[in-house]
Amino acid sequence: MSHWMFNCEQVSEMVSASLDRTLPFHQRAMIRIHLLMCKYCARFKDQLVVIRDACRLDDLCDEDFDSTDPLPPDARDRLKQTLASAMGEHK
Amino acid sequence: MPIKTVDNADSMSARQAGEVKQLSDPETWVDDYGDALYRFALARVKDPSVAEDLVQETFLAGLGARKNFKGRSTTKTWLIAILKHKIVDHIRKKSREQDSDKLESLTDDIEMNFTDRGEWRNRPNKWAKNPVKLYEQKEFMDVLYRCLGELPARQSEAFLLREMDGLSTEEICKELDITATNSWVMLYRARMLLRKCLQANWIDSEA
Repeated sequence: MSHWMFNCEQVSEMVSASLDRTLPFHQRAMIRIHLLMCKYCARFKDQLVVIRDACRLDDLCDEDFDSTDPLPPDARDRLKQTLASAMGEHK
Repeated sequence: MPIKTVDNADSMSARQAGEVKQLSDPETWVDDYGDALYRFALARVKDPSVAEDLVQETFLAGLGARKNFKGRSTTKTWLIAILKHKIVDHIRKKSREQDSDKLESLTDDIEMNFTDRGEWRNRPNKWAKNPVKLYEQKEFMDVLYRCLGELPARQSEAFLLREMDGLSTEEICKELDITATNSWVMLYRARMLLRKCLQANWIDSEA
């Protein structure tokens, strides 16, 4: 890869940065060109996005799909007691 | 109650919140959210008594942090966010204590990932499955949590705040008392390590 282009290490940094802030136009353009030519960096980017999506779906996942394992009654009582006495202290 | 302006449009939680939400009365927490929190914890830690402990810690931490509730999410989402941090802390402690059941080890050496010319040393494999599909997600999230437990504590904290809690990097800087550049470096390192850890420990990747 020519010396004036970004290498994979630089691109990986900028791909991560692009998830946290808006990069300048020329950087975005250079990344796009690099990703077209480099399947490893393209995978890297896709995988960061997969990780992000999975994290953000995490809340929804457990909700509707299993109603197994409710809080056992004795654990419920213990939690209520602890919380009640802690609330007493916080008052 | 006056409508608070949302200070940062970049934050996911801010975008979701159209209105300022009220924190519900802690007295109802166990009945309202006990099942959901317990289930969530149990799915990650597998041990009922540990799950109960983590739920208890979450409720107590929530009680202590009531003033910090900004009304951007529901009480339940807010409590689950606290629980996630507790779960990762627990997994980290456990993995430090016992060497069995270790994930393939990680070296936090960014330079090792690339050659002198900036080419990949460990090229990213092709991931066979798409974990965003729910039926595959459980297994993926399992490995993800375990990998988060392997990360240096500050890095996984930064990652959780960004990707799970949806804070902006500005908010993360305040939370962790670091500079913006620092936060980007930490997030980069966290993502590099996580990606590598997932690839090494999640069965469904191929070269």
